[in-house]
Amino acid sequence: MSGGGVSRRNFLTLEFARDRPHGEHWIRVHRLAMACRFEVVLTESDAFAIAAAREALDEAERIESVLTVFRDDSDVADVNRRAAGEPIAVRADLFALLARCRNLHDATGGAFDITSTPLSRSWGFLRRAGRIPDDAELAAARACSGMDHVRLDPAARTVGFDRDGVELNFGAIGKGHALDCMADLLRNAAVPRALLSAGRSSVVALGTDGGGWPVDLRPTLARSRVGRVWLQDAALGVSGAGEQYFEVDGVRYGHVIDPRTGRPASGVLSASVLTRFGADADALSTAFLIGGPERARDYCARHEGTQAVLVLDDVSERVEVYGRCPGVRLELS
Amino acid sequence: MNLTPEQMAIGRRNFLKAIAGVPAVAALGAAAAVKGPARGGPVRVGFIGVGGQGRALLGRLDPASADVRSMADINPASLQHADDLLAKAHRPAAKHYVEWRDMLEHEDLEAVIVAVPLWAHADVVCGALEAGKHVLCEKMMAWDAAGYTRMAQTAIKSGRVLEIGYQRNYNPIYRSAYEGVIRQGLLGDVHFARLVWHRNGNWRRPGGPPSADYDPSKWGYPTWDHLWNWRLYWKYSQGLFAELGSHQVNAANWFLGSMPQRVQASGGIYRFNDGREVPDHVYALFEYPGGITATFSSIESNAFDERYEGFYGTKGTLIIRNENDALLFSEGSDASATGIEVGPTGAGAALEASETKPASAGGAARATSEQTAKPKQPSPSTLEINAFCSAIRAGTPLACGPVSAMHSAAWCLASNEAMKRSMPIKIDNGSLAS
Repeated sequence: MSGGGVSRRNFLTLEFARDRPHGEHWIRVHRLAMACRFEVVLTESDAFAIAAAREALDEAERIESVLTVFRDDSDVADVNRRAAGEPIAVRADLFALLARCRNLHDATGGAFDITSTPLSRSWGFLRRAGRIPDDAELAAARACSGMDHVRLDPAARTVGFDRDGVELNFGAIGKGHALDCMADLLRNAAVPRALLSAGRSSVVALGTDGGGWPVDLRPTLARSRVGRVWLQDAALGVSGAGEQYFEVDGVRYGHVIDPRTGRPASGVLSASVLTRFGADADALSTAFLIGGPERARDYCARHEGTQAVLVLDDVSERVEVYGRCPGVRLELS
Repeated sequence: MNLTPEQMAIGRRNFLKAIAGVPAVAALGAAAAVKGPARGGPVRVGFIGVGGQGRALLGRLDPASADVRSMADINPASLQHADDLLAKAHRPAAKHYVEWRDMLEHEDLEAVIVAVPLWAHADVVCGALEAGKHVLCEKMMAWDAAGYTRMAQTAIKSGRVLEIGYQRNYNPIYRSAYEGVIRQGLLGDVHFARLVWHRNGNWRRPGGPPSADYDPSKWGYPTWDHLWNWRLYWKYSQGLFAELGSHQVNAANWFLGSMPQRVQASGGIYRFNDGREVPDHVYALFEYPGGITATFSSIESNAFDERYEGFYGTKGTLIIRNENDALLFSEGSDASATGIEVGPTGAGAALEASETKPASAGGAARATSEQTAKPKQPSPSTLEINAFCSAIRAGTPLACGPVSAMHSAAWCLASNEAMKRSMPIKIDNGSLAS
């Protein structure tokens, strides 16, 4: 009865352990930053990494202090205040992020744009009090929106605006960017594996927890879980308007504005993007929510290593998948 | 305790900073990593008492550690509920007994888990130890000093494991807070601890007997109400100090590294004067050596404070709320905050991704019928039973053996005495330890 043989129960336990080689608990280290929950998930075997996770969360706060437009003393607030008058020299990491935003803007045909704040404002989303703007308001907002009004000088590392009223806002890329920086920091601290996330919409996987970090795709507006992905050294970004929208006469107006038309994006309930880096995944998920299946299909065909999962806003909530991403296994529900 | 969300966030971050040192983290990992016994297979156990608390332990027990062979209870309805629980979990059925002595006589058990009304602890535990069984007994240790003294002596004489179930001792949050904050001296000199367990409701449980002809008198309960609501009567219970306070006094003694020397207390039946004997509001003030004072309050008229243990030092404050959330504040600092949670991996996803959830919703899981990523705390009861089984199989140390359990029991009993006699009570701790 109490001999050394392997009972069926022991056998099952061993099987289970093989599936979870790094322990049976996840340690979640979290803090509020960028108005959402930043979280670092560690495996039980990596409890030593809690200190590094804390430093990574410090990094997120540092990046927030540079990028935020909700405080007057951030670098970006300073640029927004002064860059219409003269080119403003910015720190190297901020300039690199600006250049990346310019590239993503160009590669998505303008669907990703960090200058659409005036549009969001005219639709009332900045005050979380949505409303339909009149034509004059919208025209005024459109006149000072668009990456074309932003001048980047790599040699001088300056940014300038060609008119008053232009504003930068990193809301659609900042979280993913912060997670990338946090992942670098953890990697340098010899942390072998971690799952980083911000607001549940931006995810970066460092290494793998056995068969990859399991993450469910569950957009707010979709009727059910879309699927599950297993991530290893890959990133996920999810966009949708399920959390911020208003309705007029039965029409839903979401908070994501199409910078090309000045109107809330429509046609896609949710866009998820899987790729190597969190900043790209974040930006592209917004771009595909705006640009729709055509833009997503086109982009994924031309950029290897990018996968898009779109839930279309039709009766059947059709799911479309484009492209592939190394380190990602996708299983649709 | 009236903390803003911002203050709570600050506390979490500071807690994390404090436990970031290796010893604390190691403790956290160790607490979470307690596994079932490696050799000898699951321990063959029987349950004595499968009422609410007994079933809570039964449900959280890890079958890899303990194999539940049988259970005894004088209430057939409780046995039926326990059967349902096992069936629902697809676990093997356990044989029924009414009398625990019959069970010990007829079953090949190595250990028993005891969750009977307090007044029966000493007889049941001593009977089981004398029958050669290891015993995990629910807190508080015993109804009176004679009972706990007899239990400790019997445990020593029998050479069997006797552990008293205070689940805070097995909770990763408490272990990491102790290792990373208390032992590192991050609070400075602590002169005050506040223990709070506040509820807004009646302790009396509604419910009728299992059958119209059910007769509890042969087990010493003159009426069904006395059996069902035993906590409300002095004959079986020591009231709120024992049922709730002993958890927190046990934790405070652990964290403060000492025992009280004197206690003052007051209380009364202030809200539910429904025939009960034990107070519904109690207050105690424990004096520890070195100018340390701890207060305990338990009320049944307001739940704003819920439950927490707060340790207030010259350098900082540690608050552990509702057994699952640790907050650390530095004196005079307003730095921001980090929290830590520990949860089982299970088969679910590590994260449920969606469009951005704002901070107001970011921590909370969405209420859906098909939840997959809800973070769960590991059950300290599971870890407690695992550790008990490890102590039996591998001789690993106990978290709350007889001596430690006697101390918290003695001080809760002293609180009742202080309350009843309206005078400070002293206990010679030295005689308790010997």
